[in-house]
Amino acid sequence: MFAIEVEGLRKSYGKDIAVQDVSFKIRKGEIFGLLGPNGAGKSTTINMITGLLTRDAGTIKILGSDPEKDWERIKNKMGVATAYYPLNEILTIRQNLIVYSKIYNIQNANERINSLLKDFGLEHLANKRIGHLSSGERTRTTLCKGLLPKPEILFLDECTIGLDPDIAQKTRQMILDYHNETKCTILFTSHYMFEVEQLCDRIAFLDKGRILYVDTSKELKAMIKKEVIQLTLKSNTEKLSSFLRKKSIRIISVQESIITFELQENKETFQLLKEIFNQDFDVIDMHISKPTLDDIFIHIARNGK
Amino acid sequence: MKWYRIKALLLKYYFITLNSADRIFDIFYWPVIDVIIWGFTSYFIKQISSLNILSMALGGLILWLFVWRSAQDIAVYVLEDFWSKTLYHLFSSPVMISEHITSIVLFGFLRSMFTFFFLAALMFMLYSFNVFTIPLALLASSIAILSLFGWAMGLFITGLILRFGQRIQVLAWSLTWIIQPFSCVFYPLSALPQWAVPIAKVLPTTQVFETLRSVIFPTMGSQGNLWYALVSVLLFLVGAGWFLGSSFKKAKKNGMLVGAE
Ligand SMILES: Nc1ncnc2c1ncn2[C@@H]1O[C@H](COP(=O)(O)OP(=O)(O)OP(=O)(O)O)[C@@H](O)[C@H]1O
Ligand SMILES: [Mg+2]
Repeated sequence: MFAIEVEGLRKSYGKDIAVQDVSFKIRKGEIFGLLGPNGAGKSTTINMITGLLTRDAGTIKILGSDPEKDWERIKNKMGVATAYYPLNEILTIRQNLIVYSKIYNIQNANERINSLLKDFGLEHLANKRIGHLSSGERTRTTLCKGLLPKPEILFLDECTIGLDPDIAQKTRQMILDYHNETKCTILFTSHYMFEVEQLCDRIAFLDKGRILYVDTSKELKAMIKKEVIQLTLKSNTEKLSSFLRKKSIRIISVQESIITFELQENKETFQLLKEIFNQDFDVIDMHISKPTLDDIFIHIARNGK
Repeated sequence: MKWYRIKALLLKYYFITLNSADRIFDIFYWPVIDVIIWGFTSYFIKQISSLNILSMALGGLILWLFVWRSAQDIAVYVLEDFWSKTLYHLFSSPVMISEHITSIVLFGFLRSMFTFFFLAALMFMLYSFNVFTIPLALLASSIAILSLFGWAMGLFITGLILRFGQRIQVLAWSLTWIIQPFSCVFYPLSALPQWAVPIAKVLPTTQVFETLRSVIFPTMGSQGNLWYALVSVLLFLVGAGWFLGSSFKKAKKNGMLVGAE
Protein backbone atom coordinates (compact mmCIF):
# COMPACT_ATOMS: atom_id res chain seq x y z
CA MET A 1 0.00 0.00 0.00
CA PHE A 2 1.33 3.39 -0.97
CA ALA A 3 0.89 6.58 1.01
CA ILE A 4 1.76 8.85 -1.88
CA GLU A 5 1.73 8.05 -5.59
CA VAL A 6 2.88 10.66 -8.04
CA GLU A 7 2.84 10.13 -11.80
CA GLY A 8 4.06 12.44 -14.55
CA LEU A 9 4.00 15.58 -12.43
CA ARG A 10 4.68 18.79 -14.33
CA LYS A 11 4.74 22.46 -13.47
CA SER A 12 5.97 25.47 -15.38
CA TYR A 13 5.96 29.17 -14.67
CA GLY A 14 5.53 30.82 -18.02
CA LYS A 15 8.36 29.47 -20.14
CA ASP A 16 10.38 28.20 -17.18
CA ILE A 17 9.84 24.56 -16.41
CA ALA A 18 10.13 23.96 -12.67
CA VAL A 19 9.20 20.28 -12.56
CA GLN A 20 8.69 17.76 -15.34
CA ASP A 21 7.92 14.10 -15.56
CA VAL A 22 8.30 13.49 -11.87
CA SER A 23 7.00 10.10 -10.77
CA PHE A 24 7.54 8.17 -7.56
CA LYS A 25 5.68 6.07 -5.05
CA ILE A 26 6.17 6.29 -1.32
CA ARG A 27 5.23 3.27 0.73
CA LYS A 28 3.26 3.66 3.94
CA GLY A 29 5.67 4.15 6.80
CA GLU A 30 8.58 5.05 4.58
CA ILE A 31 10.81 8.09 5.02
CA PHE A 32 11.42 9.41 1.55
CA GLY A 33 13.93 12.14 0.79
CA LEU A 34 13.92 14.64 -2.03
CA LEU A 35 17.46 15.71 -2.67
CA GLY A 36 18.86 18.13 -5.19
CA PRO A 37 20.61 21.43 -5.77
CA ASN A 38 18.95 24.85 -5.40
CA GLY A 39 16.09 25.30 -7.81
CA ALA A 40 15.84 21.59 -8.59
CA GLY A 41 12.10 21.59 -7.95
CA LYS A 42 11.89 20.01 -4.50
CA SER A 43 9.63 22.61 -2.91
CA THR A 44 7.54 22.83 -6.07
CA THR A 45 6.98 19.07 -5.95
CA ILE A 46 6.04 19.08 -2.26
CA ASN A 47 3.70 22.06 -2.69
CA MET A 48 1.86 20.36 -5.52
CA ILE A 49 1.34 17.29 -3.35
CA THR A 50 0.08 19.31 -0.39
CA GLY A 51 -2.37 21.14 -2.65
CA LEU A 52 -0.88 24.62 -2.25
CA LEU A 53 0.16 24.75 -5.88
CA THR A 54 -1.82 23.60 -8.90
CA ARG A 55 0.02 21.26 -11.26
CA ASP A 56 -0.03 21.55 -15.04
CA ALA A 57 -0.16 17.81 -15.62
CA GLY A 58 0.16 14.50 -13.84
CA THR A 59 -1.75 12.60 -11.19
CA ILE A 60 -1.38 12.51 -7.44
CA LYS A 61 -2.86 9.99 -5.06
CA ILE A 62 -2.62 10.39 -1.31
CA LEU A 63 -3.61 7.56 1.02
CA GLY A 64 -5.20 5.81 -1.91
CA SER A 65 -7.51 8.57 -3.08
CA ASP A 66 -7.53 11.55 -5.38
CA PRO A 67 -6.93 14.49 -3.03
CA GLU A 68 -9.04 16.88 -5.11
CA LYS A 69 -12.08 14.83 -4.14
CA ASP A 70 -11.05 14.18 -0.57
CA TRP A 71 -9.06 17.16 0.72
CA GLU A 72 -10.81 17.44 4.03
CA ARG A 73 -10.04 13.86 5.07
CA ILE A 74 -6.48 13.99 3.76
CA LYS A 75 -5.55 17.37 5.20
CA ASN A 76 -6.72 16.20 8.59
CA LYS A 77 -4.16 13.42 8.33
CA MET A 78 -1.21 15.40 7.13
CA GLY A 79 1.22 17.71 8.87
CA VAL A 80 3.43 20.30 7.21
CA ALA A 81 6.54 22.01 8.55
CA THR A 82 9.11 24.22 6.90
CA ALA A 83 11.74 26.79 7.72
CA TYR A 84 10.48 28.95 4.85
CA TYR A 85 7.31 30.28 6.46
CA PRO A 86 6.68 31.06 10.12
CA LEU A 87 3.35 30.79 11.91
CA ASN A 88 1.34 33.97 12.54
CA GLU A 89 3.82 36.50 13.89
CA ILE A 90 1.40 38.54 15.97
CA LEU A 91 0.34 35.50 17.98
CA THR A 92 2.43 33.78 20.65
CA ILE A 93 3.63 30.21 20.16
CA ARG A 94 0.92 28.89 22.45
CA GLN A 95 -1.84 30.95 20.83
CA ASN A 96 -0.83 29.69 17.38
CA LEU A 97 -0.82 26.10 18.54
CA ILE A 98 -4.18 26.50 20.29
CA VAL A 99 -5.70 27.83 17.06
CA TYR A 100 -4.31 24.91 15.05
CA SER A 101 -5.42 22.40 17.67
CA LYS A 102 -8.97 23.71 17.21
CA ILE A 103 -8.63 23.59 13.43
CA TYR A 104 -7.65 19.91 13.70
CA ASN A 105 -10.27 19.36 16.40
CA ILE A 106 -7.71 17.78 18.73
CA GLN A 107 -8.87 16.34 22.04
CA ASN A 108 -6.79 17.08 25.14
CA ALA A 109 -5.10 19.83 23.17
CA ASN A 110 -3.36 21.38 26.15
CA GLU A 111 -1.55 18.19 27.06
CA ARG A 112 -0.48 17.63 23.48
CA ILE A 113 0.75 21.22 23.12
CA ASN A 114 2.69 21.09 26.38
CA SER A 115 4.40 17.85 25.50
CA LEU A 116 5.39 19.14 22.05
CA LEU A 117 6.73 22.38 23.53
CA LYS A 118 8.76 20.33 25.97
CA ASP A 119 10.09 18.01 23.27
CA PHE A 120 11.24 20.91 21.13
CA GLY A 121 12.65 22.89 24.03
CA LEU A 122 10.22 25.76 23.60
CA GLU A 123 8.47 25.65 26.97
CA HIS A 124 10.07 28.84 28.25
CA LEU A 125 9.11 30.69 25.06
CA ALA A 126 5.48 29.56 24.94
CA ASN A 127 4.09 33.03 25.63
CA LYS A 128 6.44 34.89 23.33
CA ARG A 129 5.24 36.14 19.97
CA ILE A 130 6.50 34.37 16.86
CA GLY A 131 7.66 37.76 15.57
CA HIS A 132 10.07 38.04 18.50
CA LEU A 133 11.67 34.61 18.09
CA SER A 134 14.99 33.67 16.49
CA SER A 135 14.75 31.94 13.14
CA GLY A 136 15.65 28.55 14.61
CA GLU A 137 12.96 28.94 17.26
CA ARG A 138 10.43 29.83 14.57
CA THR A 139 11.32 26.75 12.59
CA ARG A 140 10.81 24.58 15.65
CA THR A 141 7.34 26.08 16.20
CA THR A 142 6.35 25.07 12.67
CA LEU A 143 7.57 21.56 13.51
CA CYS A 144 5.36 21.56 16.61
CA LYS A 145 2.45 22.64 14.42
CA GLY A 146 3.30 19.92 11.90
CA LEU A 147 3.31 17.18 14.54
CA LEU A 148 0.32 18.57 16.45
CA PRO A 149 -2.41 16.56 14.67
CA LYS A 150 -0.38 13.30 14.93
CA PRO A 151 -0.28 13.13 11.14
CA GLU A 152 -0.14 9.96 9.09
CA ILE A 153 1.88 11.81 6.49
CA LEU A 154 4.45 14.44 7.39
CA PHE A 155 5.79 16.89 4.82
CA LEU A 156 9.05 18.48 5.88
CA ASP A 157 10.48 21.06 3.48
CA GLU A 158 13.94 22.10 4.72
CA CYS A 159 12.81 21.87 8.30
CA THR A 160 16.29 21.98 9.88
CA ILE A 161 17.71 25.04 8.14
CA GLY A 162 19.09 27.52 10.62
CA LEU A 163 19.12 25.13 13.56
CA ASP A 164 22.37 24.86 15.50
CA PRO A 165 24.06 21.43 15.22
CA ASP A 166 22.94 20.29 18.65
CA ILE A 167 19.31 21.26 18.17
CA ALA A 168 19.33 19.99 14.59
CA GLN A 169 20.46 16.61 15.87
CA LYS A 170 17.78 16.60 18.58
CA THR A 171 15.21 17.58 15.99
CA ARG A 172 16.18 14.72 13.69
CA GLN A 173 15.92 12.41 16.67
CA MET A 174 12.46 13.80 17.45
CA ILE A 175 11.39 13.10 13.90
CA LEU A 176 12.76 9.56 14.07
CA ASP A 177 11.13 8.96 17.44
CA TYR A 178 7.81 10.15 16.10
CA HIS A 179 8.26 7.91 13.09
CA ASN A 180 9.07 4.89 15.24
CA GLU A 181 6.12 5.56 17.47
CA THR A 182 3.51 6.13 14.75
CA LYS A 183 4.96 4.47 11.62
CA CYS A 184 3.95 7.58 9.72
CA THR A 185 5.08 8.36 6.20
CA ILE A 186 7.52 11.24 5.78
CA LEU A 187 8.42 13.24 2.70
CA PHE A 188 11.55 15.15 3.47
CA THR A 189 13.69 17.67 1.61
CA SER A 190 17.09 18.90 2.63
CA HIS A 191 20.46 20.06 1.37
CA TYR A 192 22.28 18.28 4.17
CA MET A 193 23.41 14.90 2.91
CA PHE A 194 24.22 13.34 6.27
CA GLU A 195 20.75 14.28 7.41
CA VAL A 196 19.10 12.60 4.47
CA GLU A 197 21.36 9.62 5.01
CA GLN A 198 20.48 9.41 8.68
CA LEU A 199 16.73 9.71 8.16
CA CYS A 200 15.65 8.47 4.78
CA ASP A 201 14.87 4.95 3.63
CA ARG A 202 14.96 6.03 0.00
CA ILE A 203 16.12 9.12 -1.80
CA ALA A 204 14.99 10.70 -5.06
CA PHE A 205 17.65 12.86 -6.61
CA LEU A 206 16.17 15.80 -8.49
CA ASP A 207 17.93 18.13 -10.87
CA LYS A 208 16.48 20.77 -13.19
CA GLY A 209 12.98 19.53 -12.45
CA ARG A 210 13.64 15.89 -13.30
CA ILE A 211 14.27 12.85 -11.15
CA LEU A 212 17.68 11.39 -11.98
CA TYR A 213 17.76 8.54 -9.48
CA VAL A 214 15.50 6.97 -6.88
CA ASP A 215 17.34 4.64 -4.57
CA THR A 216 18.55 3.93 -1.05
CA SER A 217 21.49 6.00 0.13
CA LYS A 218 23.67 2.86 0.08
CA GLU A 219 22.88 2.21 -3.57
CA LEU A 220 23.45 5.83 -4.43
CA LYS A 221 26.83 5.72 -2.77
CA ALA A 222 27.76 2.58 -4.68
CA MET A 223 27.46 4.64 -7.84
CA ILE A 224 30.87 6.11 -7.27
CA LYS A 225 33.22 3.16 -7.10
CA LYS A 226 36.14 5.19 -5.94
CA GLU A 227 38.12 4.96 -2.76
CA VAL A 228 40.84 7.26 -1.65
CA ILE A 229 43.63 5.66 0.37
CA GLN A 230 46.26 7.50 2.33
CA LEU A 231 49.29 5.73 3.72
CA THR A 232 51.91 7.17 6.04
CA LEU A 233 55.31 5.49 5.83
CA LYS A 234 58.29 5.49 8.12
CA SER A 235 60.49 6.23 5.13
CA ASN A 236 61.02 5.42 1.49
CA THR A 237 57.90 6.66 -0.31
CA GLU A 238 59.81 6.24 -3.58
CA LYS A 239 59.67 2.46 -3.44
CA LEU A 240 55.90 2.44 -2.86
CA SER A 241 55.26 5.05 -5.57
CA SER A 242 56.99 3.01 -8.20
CA PHE A 243 55.15 -0.09 -7.00
CA LEU A 244 51.82 1.71 -7.45
CA ARG A 245 52.84 3.18 -10.80
CA LYS A 246 53.70 -0.25 -12.06
CA LYS A 247 50.13 -1.29 -11.23
CA SER A 248 48.90 1.87 -13.06
CA ILE A 249 47.18 3.18 -9.93
CA ARG A 250 46.50 6.92 -9.94
CA ILE A 251 48.61 8.67 -7.31
CA ILE A 252 46.97 11.85 -6.12
CA SER A 253 49.85 13.23 -4.09
CA VAL A 254 53.10 12.43 -2.35
CA GLN A 255 53.93 14.67 0.57
CA GLU A 256 57.04 13.82 2.58
CA SER A 257 56.13 10.44 4.03
CA ILE A 258 52.44 10.51 3.11
CA ILE A 259 51.22 9.02 -0.12
CA THR A 260 47.63 9.36 -1.35
CA PHE A 261 46.14 7.33 -4.19
CA GLU A 262 42.83 6.42 -5.68
CA LEU A 263 41.31 3.04 -6.48
CA GLN A 264 38.52 2.71 -9.00
CA GLU A 265 37.04 -0.61 -7.97
CA ASN A 266 36.62 -1.05 -4.27
CA LYS A 267 36.90 -4.82 -4.72
CA GLU A 268 40.65 -4.56 -5.42
CA THR A 269 41.35 -2.55 -2.26
CA PHE A 270 41.70 -5.48 0.04
CA GLN A 271 43.97 -7.41 -2.33
CA LEU A 272 46.24 -4.45 -2.89
CA LEU A 273 46.59 -3.59 0.79
CA LYS A 274 47.51 -7.17 1.50
CA GLU A 275 50.32 -6.96 -1.06
CA ILE A 276 51.54 -3.67 0.37
CA PHE A 277 51.67 -5.03 3.90
CA ASN A 278 53.37 -8.21 2.79
CA GLN A 279 56.18 -6.29 1.10
CA ASP A 280 58.08 -4.27 3.60
CA PHE A 281 57.06 -0.65 2.89
CA ASP A 282 57.07 0.35 6.58
CA VAL A 283 53.46 1.56 6.76
CA ILE A 284 52.76 3.24 10.09
CA ASP A 285 49.32 4.76 9.46
CA MET A 286 46.46 4.23 7.06
CA HIS A 287 43.31 6.08 6.13
CA ILE A 288 40.62 4.93 3.68
CA SER A 289 37.88 7.34 2.65
CA LYS A 290 34.78 6.01 1.01
CA PRO A 291 32.62 8.32 -1.07
CA THR A 292 30.10 10.27 1.02
CA LEU A 293 26.67 11.31 -0.09
CA ASP A 294 28.17 14.77 -0.46
CA ASP A 295 30.52 13.44 -3.13
CA ILE A 296 27.55 11.82 -4.85
CA PHE A 297 25.57 15.03 -4.61
CA ILE A 298 28.34 17.07 -6.17
CA HIS A 299 29.05 14.36 -8.73
CA ILE A 300 25.41 14.14 -9.86
CA ALA A 301 24.77 17.85 -9.69
CA ARG A 302 27.79 18.56 -11.91
CA ASN A 303 27.66 15.64 -14.31
CA GLY A 304 23.99 14.78 -14.46
CA LYS A 305 23.04 11.19 -15.05
CA MET B 1 -17.70 24.02 5.96
CA LYS B 2 -17.23 23.02 9.58
CA TRP B 3 -18.31 25.30 12.39
CA TYR B 4 -15.45 24.24 14.70
CA ARG B 5 -12.90 25.44 12.16
CA ILE B 6 -14.69 28.76 11.77
CA LYS B 7 -14.64 29.06 15.56
CA ALA B 8 -10.91 28.29 15.55
CA LEU B 9 -10.31 31.14 13.11
CA LEU B 10 -12.51 33.49 15.15
CA LEU B 11 -10.30 32.64 18.10
CA LYS B 12 -7.29 33.60 15.99
CA TYR B 13 -8.79 37.05 15.27
CA TYR B 14 -9.61 37.42 18.92
CA PHE B 15 -5.95 36.72 19.79
CA ILE B 16 -4.78 39.16 17.13
CA THR B 17 -7.01 41.86 18.59
CA LEU B 18 -5.78 41.04 22.06
CA ASN B 19 -2.13 41.31 21.03
CA SER B 20 -2.30 44.43 18.92
CA ALA B 21 -3.80 47.48 20.57
CA ASP B 22 -4.12 49.25 17.20
CA ARG B 23 -6.93 46.85 16.27
CA ILE B 24 -8.98 48.06 19.21
CA PHE B 25 -7.90 51.62 18.62
CA ASP B 26 -9.11 51.64 15.02
CA ILE B 27 -12.58 50.51 16.04
CA PHE B 28 -12.95 53.96 17.63
CA TYR B 29 -10.42 56.33 16.14
CA TRP B 30 -11.63 57.24 12.63
CA PRO B 31 -15.35 57.03 13.46
CA VAL B 32 -14.92 59.41 16.40
CA ILE B 33 -12.97 61.90 14.31
CA ASP B 34 -15.64 61.73 11.60
CA VAL B 35 -18.41 62.32 14.13
CA ILE B 36 -16.66 65.37 15.53
CA ILE B 37 -15.90 66.91 12.13
CA TRP B 38 -19.39 66.33 10.73
CA GLY B 39 -21.07 67.50 13.91
CA PHE B 40 -19.16 70.81 13.98
CA THR B 41 -19.65 71.30 10.24
CA SER B 42 -23.40 70.81 10.61
CA TYR B 43 -23.55 73.33 13.47
CA PHE B 44 -21.64 75.84 11.43
CA ILE B 45 -23.95 75.43 8.40
CA LYS B 46 -26.96 75.80 10.65
CA GLN B 47 -25.55 79.10 11.95
CA ILE B 48 -25.05 80.65 8.52
CA SER B 49 -28.22 79.24 6.92
CA SER B 50 -31.43 77.70 8.08
CA LEU B 51 -30.40 74.22 6.93
CA ASN B 52 -30.17 71.45 9.47
CA ILE B 53 -28.01 68.77 7.89
CA LEU B 54 -27.00 67.24 11.20
CA SER B 55 -29.19 64.17 11.06
CA MET B 56 -28.41 63.53 7.40
CA ALA B 57 -24.69 63.79 8.03
CA LEU B 58 -24.61 61.72 11.20
CA GLY B 59 -27.12 59.18 9.87
CA GLY B 60 -25.08 58.74 6.71
CA LEU B 61 -21.89 58.47 8.70
CA ILE B 62 -23.04 55.81 11.11
CA LEU B 63 -24.56 53.65 8.39
CA TRP B 64 -21.76 54.02 5.85
CA LEU B 65 -19.63 52.49 8.54
CA PHE B 66 -21.10 49.09 7.68
CA VAL B 67 -19.93 49.31 4.07
CA TRP B 68 -16.55 50.69 4.91
CA ARG B 69 -15.77 48.46 7.89
CA SER B 70 -17.00 45.28 6.23
CA ALA B 71 -14.91 45.81 3.11
CA GLN B 72 -11.89 47.06 5.03
CA ASP B 73 -11.84 44.26 7.60
CA ILE B 74 -11.94 41.54 4.97
CA ALA B 75 -9.10 43.18 3.05
CA VAL B 76 -6.98 43.92 6.14
CA TYR B 77 -7.13 40.42 7.52
CA VAL B 78 -6.47 38.80 4.15
CA LEU B 79 -3.56 41.14 3.42
CA GLU B 80 -2.15 40.44 6.82
CA ASP B 81 -2.07 36.71 6.09
CA PHE B 82 -0.26 37.65 2.92
CA TRP B 83 2.37 39.80 4.57
CA SER B 84 3.06 37.30 7.27
CA LYS B 85 3.04 34.46 4.69
CA THR B 86 0.81 32.35 6.90
CA LEU B 87 -1.45 31.29 4.02
CA TYR B 88 1.03 28.43 3.58
CA HIS B 89 0.17 26.96 6.96
CA LEU B 90 -3.49 27.93 6.81
CA PHE B 91 -4.24 26.25 3.50
CA SER B 92 -2.14 23.17 4.10
CA SER B 93 -4.42 22.59 7.10
CA PRO B 94 -8.05 21.50 6.58
CA VAL B 95 -9.21 25.14 6.50
CA MET B 96 -11.17 25.94 3.35
CA ILE B 97 -11.28 29.33 1.68
CA SER B 98 -15.03 29.54 2.42
CA GLU B 99 -14.37 29.00 6.14
CA HIS B 100 -11.58 31.56 6.06
CA ILE B 101 -13.84 34.19 4.49
CA THR B 102 -16.84 33.33 6.69
CA SER B 103 -14.78 33.80 9.83
CA ILE B 104 -13.48 37.18 8.66
CA VAL B 105 -17.00 38.30 7.73
CA LEU B 106 -18.38 37.29 11.12
CA PHE B 107 -15.56 38.92 13.00
CA GLY B 108 -15.83 42.07 10.90
CA PHE B 109 -19.56 42.25 11.57
CA LEU B 110 -18.94 42.03 15.29
CA ARG B 111 -16.47 44.90 15.02
CA SER B 112 -18.96 46.95 12.99
CA MET B 113 -21.73 46.41 15.53
CA PHE B 114 -19.39 47.43 18.29
CA THR B 115 -18.50 50.65 16.52
CA PHE B 116 -22.14 51.24 15.65
CA PHE B 117 -23.37 51.15 19.25
CA PHE B 118 -20.43 53.18 20.42
CA LEU B 119 -21.07 55.90 17.81
CA ALA B 120 -24.81 55.83 18.42
CA ALA B 121 -24.16 56.59 22.08
CA LEU B 122 -21.58 59.25 21.26
CA MET B 123 -23.89 61.01 18.76
CA PHE B 124 -26.68 61.00 21.27
CA MET B 125 -24.50 62.51 23.96
CA LEU B 126 -22.80 65.13 21.79
CA TYR B 127 -25.61 66.18 19.46
CA SER B 128 -28.74 64.52 20.88
CA PHE B 129 -29.00 62.67 17.61
CA ASN B 130 -30.84 59.39 18.08
CA VAL B 131 -30.29 56.91 15.28
CA PHE B 132 -33.03 54.71 16.71
CA THR B 133 -35.70 57.17 15.60
CA ILE B 134 -35.34 55.41 12.27
CA PRO B 135 -37.98 52.64 12.27
CA LEU B 136 -36.26 49.50 13.50
CA ALA B 137 -37.22 47.32 10.52
CA LEU B 138 -35.81 49.93 8.13
CA LEU B 139 -32.68 50.38 10.21
CA ALA B 140 -32.07 46.64 10.39
CA SER B 141 -32.64 46.02 6.70
CA SER B 142 -30.42 49.00 5.81
CA ILE B 143 -27.64 47.63 8.00
CA ALA B 144 -28.10 44.19 6.43
CA ILE B 145 -27.95 45.44 2.83
CA LEU B 146 -25.02 47.80 3.50
CA SER B 147 -23.07 45.05 5.23
CA LEU B 148 -23.76 42.64 2.38
CA PHE B 149 -22.48 45.27 -0.03
CA GLY B 150 -19.38 45.83 2.08
CA TRP B 151 -18.70 42.09 2.07
CA ALA B 152 -19.14 41.95 -1.69
CA MET B 153 -16.57 44.73 -1.98
CA GLY B 154 -14.30 42.96 0.47
CA LEU B 155 -14.48 39.70 -1.50
CA PHE B 156 -13.79 41.60 -4.70
CA ILE B 157 -10.78 43.39 -3.15
CA THR B 158 -9.49 40.07 -1.79
CA GLY B 159 -9.90 38.58 -5.25
CA LEU B 160 -7.88 41.47 -6.70
CA ILE B 161 -5.10 40.94 -4.16
CA LEU B 162 -4.97 37.18 -4.77
CA ARG B 163 -4.91 37.77 -8.50
CA PHE B 164 -2.45 40.64 -8.77
CA GLY B 165 -0.54 40.48 -5.50
CA GLN B 166 0.25 43.25 -3.10
CA ARG B 167 0.95 45.81 -5.80
CA ILE B 168 -2.81 46.25 -6.14
CA GLN B 169 -3.10 47.31 -2.49
CA VAL B 170 -3.66 51.02 -2.96
CA LEU B 171 -6.52 50.47 -5.36
CA ALA B 172 -7.89 47.88 -2.98
CA TRP B 173 -7.91 50.31 -0.07
CA SER B 174 -9.44 53.15 -1.99
CA LEU B 175 -12.28 51.21 -3.58
CA THR B 176 -14.80 52.08 -0.86
CA TRP B 177 -13.82 55.74 -1.13
CA ILE B 178 -14.43 55.65 -4.88
CA ILE B 179 -17.88 54.15 -4.41
CA GLN B 180 -18.91 56.53 -1.64
CA PRO B 181 -19.59 59.70 -3.70
CA PHE B 182 -21.89 57.71 -6.00
CA SER B 183 -23.78 56.21 -3.10
CA CYS B 184 -25.49 59.47 -2.10
CA VAL B 185 -24.65 59.00 1.55
CA PHE B 186 -24.77 62.65 2.59
CA TYR B 187 -26.87 64.20 -0.20
CA PRO B 188 -29.83 63.14 -2.35
CA LEU B 189 -29.52 61.55 -5.77
CA SER B 190 -30.86 64.77 -7.30
CA ALA B 191 -27.68 66.54 -6.19
CA LEU B 192 -25.50 64.44 -8.51
CA PRO B 193 -24.45 65.66 -11.98
CA GLN B 194 -26.24 64.00 -14.88
CA TRP B 195 -23.39 61.69 -15.89
CA ALA B 196 -23.11 60.22 -12.41
CA VAL B 197 -26.80 59.38 -11.99
CA PRO B 198 -26.82 56.08 -13.92
CA ILE B 199 -23.82 54.82 -11.96
CA ALA B 200 -25.44 55.83 -8.68
CA LYS B 201 -28.74 54.17 -9.54
CA VAL B 202 -27.11 50.80 -10.09
CA LEU B 203 -25.59 50.78 -6.60
CA PRO B 204 -27.66 49.18 -3.84
CA THR B 205 -26.14 51.68 -1.43
CA THR B 206 -27.80 54.62 -3.24
CA GLN B 207 -31.16 52.89 -2.97
CA VAL B 208 -30.71 52.34 0.76
CA PHE B 209 -29.76 55.94 1.51
CA GLU B 210 -32.53 57.30 -0.74
CA THR B 211 -35.06 55.13 1.09
CA LEU B 212 -33.78 56.35 4.45
CA ARG B 213 -34.11 59.96 3.35
CA SER B 214 -37.62 59.39 2.00
CA VAL B 215 -38.64 58.23 5.45
CA ILE B 216 -36.73 60.76 7.54
CA PHE B 217 -37.20 63.81 5.25
CA PRO B 218 -40.40 63.09 3.30
CA THR B 219 -40.32 66.57 1.78
CA MET B 220 -37.00 66.06 0.03
CA GLY B 221 -38.51 63.98 -2.76
CA SER B 222 -36.04 61.12 -2.48
CA GLN B 223 -37.23 57.65 -3.21
CA GLY B 224 -35.33 54.42 -3.11
CA ASN B 225 -36.19 50.87 -3.80
CA LEU B 226 -35.12 48.50 -1.05
CA TRP B 227 -36.19 45.43 -3.01
CA TYR B 228 -34.00 46.44 -5.89
CA ALA B 229 -31.22 47.06 -3.38
CA LEU B 230 -31.61 43.60 -1.90
CA VAL B 231 -31.66 41.77 -5.22
CA SER B 232 -28.76 43.75 -6.65
CA VAL B 233 -26.63 43.38 -3.53
CA LEU B 234 -27.10 39.63 -3.71
CA LEU B 235 -26.02 39.71 -7.34
CA PHE B 236 -22.96 41.77 -6.41
CA LEU B 237 -22.19 39.24 -3.69
CA VAL B 238 -22.51 36.25 -6.00
CA GLY B 239 -20.37 37.99 -8.62
CA ALA B 240 -17.69 38.92 -6.10
CA GLY B 241 -17.76 35.40 -4.63
CA TRP B 242 -17.28 33.93 -8.07
CA PHE B 243 -14.43 36.35 -8.80
CA LEU B 244 -12.74 35.46 -5.52
CA GLY B 245 -13.12 31.74 -6.20
CA SER B 246 -11.51 32.06 -9.61
CA SER B 247 -8.74 34.29 -8.19
CA PHE B 248 -8.01 31.69 -5.53
CA LYS B 249 -7.61 29.03 -8.21
CA LYS B 250 -5.31 31.34 -10.10
CA ALA B 251 -3.30 32.06 -6.95
CA LYS B 252 -2.73 28.34 -6.49
CA LYS B 253 -1.53 28.17 -10.07
CA ASN B 254 0.87 31.12 -9.75
CA GLY B 255 2.34 29.92 -6.49
CA MET B 256 0.88 32.88 -4.60
CA LEU B 257 0.01 30.69 -1.61
CA VAL B 258 3.60 29.48 -1.36
CA GLY B 259 5.12 32.91 -1.22
CA ALA B 260 5.42 34.00 -4.84
CA GLU B 261 4.70 37.67 -5.46
N1 LIG C 1 6.43 31.49 -8.33
C1 LIG C 1 7.41 31.20 -9.17
N2 LIG C 1 7.52 31.85 -10.34
C2 LIG C 1 8.48 31.54 -11.22
N3 LIG C 1 9.39 30.58 -11.05
C3 LIG C 1 9.34 29.87 -9.90
C4 LIG C 1 8.36 30.14 -8.90
N4 LIG C 1 8.56 29.29 -7.87
C5 LIG C 1 9.62 28.53 -8.20
N5 LIG C 1 10.10 28.87 -9.42
C6 LIG C 1 11.22 28.24 -10.13
O1 LIG C 1 11.04 26.85 -10.14
C7 LIG C 1 12.26 26.16 -9.95
C8 LIG C 1 12.14 25.16 -8.81
O2 LIG C 1 12.03 25.87 -7.58
P1 LIG C 1 11.90 25.14 -6.18
O3 LIG C 1 11.61 26.17 -5.16
O4 LIG C 1 10.96 24.00 -6.31
O5 LIG C 1 13.38 24.58 -5.98
P2 LIG C 1 13.99 23.80 -4.73
O6 LIG C 1 14.49 22.50 -5.24
O7 LIG C 1 13.04 23.77 -3.61
O8 LIG C 1 15.24 24.73 -4.40
P3 LIG C 1 15.90 25.09 -2.97
O9 LIG C 1 16.85 24.00 -2.67
O10 LIG C 1 16.63 26.36 -3.26
O11 LIG C 1 14.81 25.24 -1.99
C9 LIG C 1 13.32 27.22 -9.74
O12 LIG C 1 14.04 27.36 -10.94
C10 LIG C 1 12.54 28.47 -9.43
O13 LIG C 1 13.19 29.60 -9.93
MG1 LIG D 1 12.97 24.56 -1.68
